[in-house]
Amino acid sequence: MLWQIVIGGIAVGSAYALIALAMVIIYKTSEVLNFAQGDMACLSTYVTFMLLHGYGFPFWVSLPLTLLFAFVLGACCEFLFLRRAKDPTVLGLIIMTLSLEMILFGLLSWKWGSDQRELPFPITSYDTFTIGSFYVSRLEVLTFVVALVMMALLFLFFRYTKTGIAIKATQLNRDSARLMGIRTNRILMGTWGLSSVVGAVAALLIAPASTLDPYMMWDPLLKGFSSAVLGGMTSLPGAAAGGYIVGIVENLFGTYVSIEFKSAVAFAIIVLILCIKPSGLLARHYVKKV
Amino acid sequence: MAFFSTEGLSISFGGLKALADVSIDVQRNSISAIIGPNGAGKTTLFNCISGIYRAQQGRIIFKDKEIHRLPPHKIAALGIARTYQNVELFAHMTTMDNLMLGRHLFLKTGLLSGATLFHSRSRSARDEIANRDRVEQIIDFLELQAARNEFVSNLPFGTQKKVELGRALALEPELLLLDEPCAGMNVEEKQDLMIWLKDIQEEFGITCLLIEHDMSLVMEISERITVLNYGRKIAEGTPDQIQNDPQVLEAYLGGDDRAEN
Amino acid sequence: MKKMLLWTIVMALVIAVCAAGAVTAADAPGVSDTEIRIGQWAALTGPAAAWGAVARGAEAYFKMINDEGGIHGRMIKHLVFDDQYNPARTVAGIKELVEGPGVFAFVAGDCTACALAARDYLVEKKIIWMALGNAWSIKPDRHFFFIYPNYLDEAAILVKYAVETMGKKKIAFFYQNDDYGKGGLKGAQQQLEKYKLKLAAEVPVEPQDRDLKSHTMAIKNADPDVVILWVNPTSAVIMRKTAAAMKFAPLWMAPSTLADPALMNQITGGLWEGTIFSCLAELPDADIPLMKKYRAAFEKYVPKGERWGIMYMAGFGFAEPLVEALKKVGRDVTTDKVIAELDKMTDFKGIFGHITFRPEDRQGQKEVFIAEALKDGKSKRLSDWIKADR
Ligand SMILES: Nc1ncnc2c1ncn2[C@@H]1O[C@H](COP(=O)(O)OP(=O)(O)OP(=O)(O)O)[C@@H](O)[C@H]1O
Ligand SMILES: [Mg+2]
Repeated sequence: MLWQIVIGGIAVGSAYALIALAMVIIYKTSEVLNFAQGDMACLSTYVTFMLLHGYGFPFWVSLPLTLLFAFVLGACCEFLFLRRAKDPTVLGLIIMTLSLEMILFGLLSWKWGSDQRELPFPITSYDTFTIGSFYVSRLEVLTFVVALVMMALLFLFFRYTKTGIAIKATQLNRDSARLMGIRTNRILMGTWGLSSVVGAVAALLIAPASTLDPYMMWDPLLKGFSSAVLGGMTSLPGAAAGGYIVGIVENLFGTYVSIEFKSAVAFAIIVLILCIKPSGLLARHYVKKV
Repeated sequence: MAFFSTEGLSISFGGLKALADVSIDVQRNSISAIIGPNGAGKTTLFNCISGIYRAQQGRIIFKDKEIHRLPPHKIAALGIARTYQNVELFAHMTTMDNLMLGRHLFLKTGLLSGATLFHSRSRSARDEIANRDRVEQIIDFLELQAARNEFVSNLPFGTQKKVELGRALALEPELLLLDEPCAGMNVEEKQDLMIWLKDIQEEFGITCLLIEHDMSLVMEISERITVLNYGRKIAEGTPDQIQNDPQVLEAYLGGDDRAEN
Repeated sequence: MKKMLLWTIVMALVIAVCAAGAVTAADAPGVSDTEIRIGQWAALTGPAAAWGAVARGAEAYFKMINDEGGIHGRMIKHLVFDDQYNPARTVAGIKELVEGPGVFAFVAGDCTACALAARDYLVEKKIIWMALGNAWSIKPDRHFFFIYPNYLDEAAILVKYAVETMGKKKIAFFYQNDDYGKGGLKGAQQQLEKYKLKLAAEVPVEPQDRDLKSHTMAIKNADPDVVILWVNPTSAVIMRKTAAAMKFAPLWMAPSTLADPALMNQITGGLWEGTIFSCLAELPDADIPLMKKYRAAFEKYVPKGERWGIMYMAGFGFAEPLVEALKKVGRDVTTDKVIAELDKMTDFKGIFGHITFRPEDRQGQKEVFIAEALKDGKSKRLSDWIKADR
């Protein structure tokens, strides 16, 4: 029982971890809390749906097209929207992403309505096998593996590629990065694109276990955000760990304490962390230069 | 035509005229200095040249090309590198990483550390090895071996300044802007720096323009000096001329020594 | 002197005519010689745009009536506006219609918050409202007629069917953590008390929750024979998928809010098969003349690409009793006469269940029937109409 819950928590935590990573990637470079992350991902998932359902493309064609769309969408959001703000305040930026969220949400409901739909996915969420006495669904395993692969790819990308290092440099010191010949504007666009791709992957893994509808990402976004806060908002490994912790803690709480307040766990984590250790559980101690 | 020049550069912040009609000329392969009291607009001038600020009036010409409308990364690509007064390094990276970022413009392939990850004769590996060699030379030149794999935020300020200088050199610039390179250095380090600057000029053929409060260093090393006060150029000339300029003496309030700033 | 008299007569006539006009206007707003105006608010855009189907259903129904010659020589003019599920817009839109062209009655209208906001204004203006929702969440008034049975009754009927007809005793209740869910829970509890039984598990869910593993575990651990899903379609889908992943397969039951087998089958990827659910209205594919007629009207008046389902049918169903009463009243239409006629309505049978209104009881329908979801989104009726007796 306990382990069944933990396994379930890890599976759902993988999705939260991806969303948290997506949020952190943007936060680190742009210092923006991107509340539109969920709806951006949701829009990408609808694109998959449209490609599969409307145009009848096979999944293995739709997937790369969707990821490409997600990248362009993210880049466009940065270029057309956030870049337009001149010397914005933190509050201003939050308001901008919130309004972006509303625009995207409006677009989703206008184009596809609020009807729930089934995303035709190669693996169903109830195709399960047992390990000992535990049930594990193939979709959960896929989510877990995809999340690990994405994390590994991100790690390699930031560590070993010219662009990845340029992104890191931009995050650390934007002006200096520009003086090194790095096109920081492009980097910002790129990070939004990258983040949007990571979010889209998360949404693609979440949709088959629930329904595809405009509200699909609200709850996961909240959980992902709380994971990111748990990890200190600026640490990629922290965000990933945060995702698993939120997934597990939430499920344990729902099972052993109160199912009614299960959804409140994510909120409680946000509040607790902000009060007790705003730098997050894994953050290195460092004071930002002013 | 001068190698590098500004013409009538002006910029103001709110009501404050940080630069007013500043024109300077820099000859190829020279060492020139800009001096002036605190708040005179020296750093602002560097910010305008490197593209961080956009001058409201005036032109900046580098090798017969107008650069005052270009973004910083293009200016860097044209061959202008700089260091900061307060050091602006990539704090959570090692000395090596910082210097390698200086090679950003020279990296042809997208993969770094290809040499360790892949076949050492692959194109990316060769590209990377070439760039690492360049960085190693700079490390040797500036005697940064001990700091190579340290996080720069853990290094003493003087060493950080050297790393920043090294990073600027990694860009292989033709014009190097140095904002108070000696600030925070001890006497010994200053001596070293003076020698390095001479080498940079003579051996690497890099033109240097520096801002400095240490008058002895400035007078010894620079061929030409420009004096700014309240955003205006009040004098220019050889060290001898400047030392005897009454306006300069007045601006400095009878030689009030600000070297420690 | 004669002139004076003439003027007086003219004046008197004018006043009489005006007064008469005024009286007509007050007695039957929105009714002219040639038309009866009926209003409706609906979210045509925005998050709850699915409700637009109800409005388009009503639209098709009125067009059908008009093509049959209208009601005693008057055509029905259907005035729909988009409130985007926003109570402020609902109230503004209603005012615009009532104080502009005038409206005789409103039908349906979505969103509990919008309905609550609209309520007082409609009471003040004395306008008939064939209300969606039920007397349990909206305070009744002389001008309001509720059609849907209340949640308590519906849940009680589901439990009654499970216990009495199917012989099940261990029932778990999975409910949305709000008035709707708690209403159902209470009805189920009350019905079980009659059999001296208790629910095996009562598990609430927040409607936006996307991870229901601990909910499913909680229900599974109680080992029930039957699980009643008193939730929105999304929660139902997630619960079914999660349960399937845990190889948990009780008998599933669901209320009329999930009584769209075609949709549920599709969004559960086929898992919906075998679900026992209650229905407020005839099944969309029922083989009865009225349904065939309505389907024909739907195909004729509704743009292609829409799906015939319970939302459209609801649009027809809410308008039926009003049209029935208008037909009975005859040419001389007033608000009071139509209310009196509606209050005489006994076992009226349209596309919904039997509807009876009385001045002291405006909850028209008190019965549902039970059906089973089959493969491919089809369904089979299992019972006749069943009344609640909790
Ligand atoms: N971004 C800015 N916004 C507002 N004022 C500025 C800005 N940058 C510089 N200034 C102002 O312009 C003036 C010149 O500043 P600058 O940094 O160029 O002086 P400086 O000559 O480098 O002085 P120091 O010797 O102390 O480094 C100062 O009054 C400074 O406050
Ligand atoms: Mg300065």
